[in-house]
This record gives sequence, structure tokens and C-alpha cells, in this order.
Amino acid sequence: MDHSKQTQYSQNEKKDAGASSSVLNGHFDGMAKRPAGGTGRAATAAAAQPPGAESSSHRPAASVMESWREERTRSVEDNEMSLPSLAAAYTTILRGLGEDPQRQGLLKTPWRAATAMQFFTKGYQEKIIDVLNDAIFDEDHDEMVIVKDIDMFSMCEHHLVPIFGRVHIGYLPNKRVLGLSKLARIVEIYSRRLQVQERLTKQIAVAITEALQPTGVGVVIEATHMCMVMRGVQKMNSKTVTSTMLGVFREDPKTRDEFLTLIRS
Amino acid sequence: TKTSKACQGLHRSGGYSKARMEYHHVSAKNGVADENQNAEKLSHIEKAYTTILSELGEDVKREGLLRTPLRAAKAMQFLTKGYKETIQDILNDAIFDENHEEMVIVKDIDLFSLCEHHLVPFFGKAHIAYLPNKKVVGLSKLARIVEIYSRRLQVQERLTKQIASAIAEALEPAGVAVVIEAVHMCMVMRGVQKMNASTVTSVMLGSFNDNAETRKEFLALTMQK
Repeated sequence: MDHSKQTQYSQNEKKDAGASSSVLNGHFDGMAKRPAGGTGRAATAAAAQPPGAESSSHRPAASVMESWREERTRSVEDNEMSLPSLAAAYTTILRGLGEDPQRQGLLKTPWRAATAMQFFTKGYQEKIIDVLNDAIFDEDHDEMVIVKDIDMFSMCEHHLVPIFGRVHIGYLPNKRVLGLSKLARIVEIYSRRLQVQERLTKQIAVAITEALQPTGVGVVIEATHMCMVMRGVQKMNSKTVTSTMLGVFREDPKTRDEFLTLIRS
Repeated sequence: TKTSKACQGLHRSGGYSKARMEYHHVSAKNGVADENQNAEKLSHIEKAYTTILSELGEDVKREGLLRTPLRAAKAMQFLTKGYKETIQDILNDAIFDENHEEMVIVKDIDLFSLCEHHLVPFFGKAHIAYLPNKKVVGLSKLARIVEIYSRRLQVQERLTKQIASAIAEALEPAGVAVVIEAVHMCMVMRGVQKMNASTVTSVMLGSFNDNAETRKEFLALTMQK
């Protein structure tokens, strides 16, 4: 394991994370967390938690915790056990909206909606280690590898409304390459959760880094947020683009340019 | 199909005044909502969402999810606000006597609705045309009619028919045509997961149904990209 490269990442991450020094502790422990008050979106909530008190918000939260750790908040059995209460919750919602849950079209909707929601959050059931373990190969290749236009579907954690878009991933291998579909599977694990696009981008980048220790990783996500399109400001054509550049993708502008040009074309 | 039988029924029964809005199972009352009742309903929905979040394995106390039940409940209410609106409210003032009998088309009306089977969005475009019979309607009212019916728990077939029937009842035109092309997230995000599939439904009433040339003209003007 090339420890110097890991330290290099940690320095970069520190710059990115600002005050949130607990992210790394000198090595990439893979905690993909937003720095406290970073985006300013949850300004009031962030103000209530000064950056130093990060540990108080450290209840192991499913979407914050890295799947590399052997923790999974949900199993297939859990799914079956939760179904009745999920269905009951959806029936309450239908009634609350003024609909008649007994009419033909809605009779089984609570169950269907519950199963659908469980599918949309199936990322909580999966671990990166399961998906990746066999598909890392030693290959003497150190040129950029890009997998682009990976369709991505996620759920906005603020409104529980879909987000969908495309993910472009590039990495510079350091003697280890990954099965290509595994990049798409990493996207699936993290996107099928209640997410925030910034966090999703970073989690994907961090997972690839932890798996391969490559020279650099770049992840760009372009997505449409239904919470902005269907309600609220109602801007039909708006797109949100986030990116995470790690290692040489961050250091070297030429590498980054090459990556960004190749994903555009 | 059921739709074409309904159209034939409309025709034989001598006009659109007989069109039954059979899917109006939720009738809007006075339009004046009882404030307390609304707040109570909102809190029921909010509690339901809190249950949902914890049953899905999430931590409801984490920062990003703290107010999500409330936001999701309000979002859901917004997405189903069509239940509270009536055609009469939005149309009454905007019907004008105009000596015009040529086709009027409003196309590419963005449409967002919720699948009533999975509570997942479907969205797309609606194209509406009518042949006025001395009465024309304000153009934006066609888009408002789409809004009223789409902001509900819907099935695309029913949505198309409701829009067509509403226009037919309000204006009594010589013909009405509605085409909706939509992408259903319940098919794209889950289930069969077909990214590029879209669903097209159409309702043709009056001359659009009888006269192939009229229908062709409408389709040529709207469906060509």
C-alpha cells in the first residue's frame, strides 16, 4: 500500500473539508461527510452544531457511514418486517391527501408504494465489499480509465422526491484496475439512498479510492432534481452539476482537463 | 377501447353536455379549506413520513432528515393540489365569443403527475387542440386545466380523458384532441427499468374522431419535432 499517496489525499481532503478535521485523522478512513456548515444550506442546523462538536452528531447514520465498514442498516428480512408499517403509513398519507384508499386504483397502492420506496433505498442493504471483492485486477496500466453516462436515480433526502441524472467516473490506476461494471455498481449502492448530490459524488469517489488506491479519481454528476422541477421554484430545465476530484485529478490541471473533455464529447 | 366507446357514446347522445365526469370521485367543495382540518391532516401525513423514514433504516435524527417529514408532507400536498381546484373556478371568466372555427392548438405543455399505483412521479408533455364553435377559451386556461387534473394521483389514460372532457364540457366545441407523452418513473427507476420508454395516450372527440384529415393535421402540427 502506498502510504505516501494516502497522505497526499488526506492533505487535499483537509483543504476541502475545512474545519472538519475528524474526516481523516491523517489517513483516508473514508468518512464521506459534508463539512459542518459547508454548503450553508442547513445554516440554522449547522449553527447549532459548532464544527468542533462534530462528534455529537456522530450517531452512526446510515447514509453518512461508509459501506466499507461492516455495517449495514438493513437486511432483506428487515424489509419484510417493515412492510406492514410502511404500508400503514402510506395509507395514512393517502387519507390525509383527501383520497379514498378503498377505490380500485388505490387498493394495493400502500403496498406497492412501500415496496417501491424500499427499492429506492436498497443501497442501505448493500456493502461495497460484497460488490467489489472479486473484481480488482493487477494490471500494468496507468492511463486514464473513464466510464461515463452512467444513469443514476436517487431520492432527495429533503423532500423524498426523485433525483435522476448521469454520473461520469474517471480514475488513473496505480497497477490495480477495477471491473468496469463495478463502477456502475458503486454508483447504485450510493445513489439508492436518501441523498444529497454533493455527498453522493464524494461517497462514490471515496469508495473507488479506498478500493484501488489509484493515482487519482474524478467523479462528475449531472442531475435533475424533481423537487425543483415539479414543485417549489419549478424550473423545468435546470440541472445540478457536482464534482469530486481526488489525487492527481485535483493537483494536475491537465489531467483534469483531459477528463472533463473526454466526458463532454 | 373504452375511450373510443365513450367518444362514440358522446357523439350519439347528441353532444358534450352529456359527458359524464365519471372520475370526479373527489369533489371540490366550496374551495374554502378549513384551516384546522388542513393542519391536522398535515401532521398526520408528517407522522406517517417519520415512520417511513425509520422503517427504511434511516436515522430520523440526523441533520439532513430532521425536517424532512414536514417537507415531504408539504411536497405531497402540493403535488396533489389538483383535488382542491375546480374547472369552474379557473374557466368562468375566460370564455369568449369569437367567430373562429379553425383549429387552435396549445402544445408542449409540461406536465407533472403522480402515478397512483406507486406514488412515484410521471412527467411529460401534453398537446391540446380544439375546433371552436363560436366560443374560444383563454390559452393559458388550457394549461391550467392540465394542471388541475395532473396534480393528483393519476393514471395517464384517465388524465387524458379528463382533460378532453373538461374542455368539451366547457366550450362545446366541434372537436377536442388531447395527446400526452410521458415518462413514468415507476418504469424507469424501478421494476423493468427501461430508461428510454415513454407512454403516449390520446383522446379524440368530435371532428378529430370522425374526420381523418383533421386528426392528421393535428398530429402533424404537434408531433413533428
